[in-house]
Amino acid sequence: MADTEPEPAGREPTGPEPQQGEPAGPKPTGPEPGESEPAEPTAPAPDGDAAEPLTTLSLPAQLIIAVAIAVAAVAAAIHLSAAFLNVSPPNTLTKRHGAAIDDYVYPEFERVWKLFAPNPLQQNIAVQARAQIRTPEGGTATTGWRDLSAQDGADIRHNPLPSHTQQNELRRGWEFYVGSHDAKERPQGMRGNLSEQYVRRIVALRLGREEDGGTVERIQVRSATTPVAPPPWSDEKIDTKTFYRTLPWWTVTSADLPEAKRP
Amino acid sequence: MTPSARLQTAVARGYTRVTASALGPRQSAVVRIGFSFTWLLFLVREWPHRRELYGPDAPWNWDMAARLIDGNRAFSALMWSDSTVWFEIVYALAIVSSALLLVGWRTRTMSVLFMIGVLSLQNRSIFVGDGGDNLIHLMSMYLVLTRCGQVWSLDARRAARGGADRAWPPRDTTGIVLWAVTGTALLWAQLFTDARLYLTADGPLPGLGWGTVLWGLWLVHAGWWFVRRYAPGEPRIVMDALAKVAHNGALLVIMAEVCLLYASAGWYKIQGSRWQDGTALYYPLHLDYFSPWPWLADIVASSGTLVMVLTYGTVIVQVAFPFTLLNRRAKNAMLVLLMLEHLGIAVLLGLPFFSLAVVAADAVFLPTNVLRWAEARLGRARDRLAARSVWLPGQRARESDEVSPDGTLVR
Repeated sequence: MADTEPEPAGREPTGPEPQQGEPAGPKPTGPEPGESEPAEPTAPAPDGDAAEPLTTLSLPAQLIIAVAIAVAAVAAAIHLSAAFLNVSPPNTLTKRHGAAIDDYVYPEFERVWKLFAPNPLQQNIAVQARAQIRTPEGGTATTGWRDLSAQDGADIRHNPLPSHTQQNELRRGWEFYVGSHDAKERPQGMRGNLSEQYVRRIVALRLGREEDGGTVERIQVRSATTPVAPPPWSDEKIDTKTFYRTLPWWTVTSADLPEAKRP
Repeated sequence: MTPSARLQTAVARGYTRVTASALGPRQSAVVRIGFSFTWLLFLVREWPHRRELYGPDAPWNWDMAARLIDGNRAFSALMWSDSTVWFEIVYALAIVSSALLLVGWRTRTMSVLFMIGVLSLQNRSIFVGDGGDNLIHLMSMYLVLTRCGQVWSLDARRAARGGADRAWPPRDTTGIVLWAVTGTALLWAQLFTDARLYLTADGPLPGLGWGTVLWGLWLVHAGWWFVRRYAPGEPRIVMDALAKVAHNGALLVIMAEVCLLYASAGWYKIQGSRWQDGTALYYPLHLDYFSPWPWLADIVASSGTLVMVLTYGTVIVQVAFPFTLLNRRAKNAMLVLLMLEHLGIAVLLGLPFFSLAVVAADAVFLPTNVLRWAEARLGRARDRLAARSVWLPGQRARESDEVSPDGTLVR
């Protein structure tokens, strides 16, 4: 695409030495008020042609601009209304126009902004896995549980820039699974099946092909949920016993591993 | 003045304001720099993990992504081909376009490529993202409509050098090449891949397809070049006014979205029992996924009063922020508090990219005088640097261009 950076020249006060790569002049030159809100215009008399009063334009030109302003205003109003209804609690309007709002907002304008609200997460949810392996001697054995979330936690500790692979992959993958399965581990629609495959592949990636010296044939996943104890100054008493949710055994194949890790 | 006359004056003034200038040039530049820097840093940081997150080694593999996108019709150039080479090209282009948007080279083209990079990677693996990614996702689309390169950009420098005294705009060979290359790439995607570039379907908004958006932007770029060069009179003024209207509308949307972000974050918290009893902050500090510095978390969590003050303070500031926009001083005070809070979150909860994205969005509300002050300070620092290294003045200048914005953000 051609460069269309629209300002031709001299629009902004560009400072005394543009040849030295002045991003914009150190000395404000325009008569702009020193203290202005973000919405304050730039220097009021920028460059010649654009500063010409638009009222001197021909009627069609004025009409085009007027229509554009109207379109922009309506578009902004619609967009912000949809944004508002996207984050608002279910209400009269979202119930009446839910489909239209979803149609507008998804897939590109979704907002996931309920940060730690209404309550922050108050439990550590660890995803653990064990494997059924075929030993070199030809027998089968079951490994102990491996805490994959603890591994993530260890990778995040003392890490100023945690990776999404450590912080989000397993954590959000498990959330996805939980959100698309019922209490009896039955998948809800396509997302349920996808989430199952996703969690299986995350676990397969982390365990690898070999575990405890044998070849992994099946894996089992469980979540261990431990409530965070209330603060010491609180008189609240809660049970901090760990609660387990154990999934059925899954067969893993080499297709569940990335190509680099396949035999 | 009669009420109707006053109304007329107000309408006329508003009309002039939104058509005669692209408002908030420094604010939009800071937002551009903030988001491109955040995304660039993220992409570089994830370079070793890129294939696991978005590429051939991803647990969320290409077929699974294809099944999900078949349903929700999200945009991702990575779905145009499942080859590893294509993935590497897209990731590299995402890095390059972020870097060029950061320094403001061909800003309007780069903002489009930046958006394509962000949407392509994020929509390929939506389950590895978080709130920060979501914010970058939204803003990458809004930035396309803004003139975010008016200041603090190589474009602004080139414009200042080039044409102040030139009546005839240059032919702009670089621009033509860029336009031809992007057009060819788009044509290739349209004809030879499964890209769903339709006119009215499967686009960002109902009734608006990605085909219309991308080809439309491409044609607008050509149109702008044409009117600048061959129709400098009325057509150019009209197109310029339209661009300003789009910029001002997008800037308004960006500001409103930031308000909405804080409003929803704050009002939902008010309903939470932990935010009411003043212990909410204690809990995330004890989650294994969000405690990179346990000793630091312990210090903060050791005082019930401190936790309570921070918990209540968070809710108060978030709920109050949109209303403080009515008063400049109150708004600036809130802005400082919010930015400090997010810097705290960056370290304490180990969410640097999320925090950077939020701070970049907050920056749209930075007061112009502060930005001017930063501009002057960095300009002087740059001049000193340039004076010290007489051998490479151009290179030095460019470095300071890049460095300046983050300094502004972090401060």
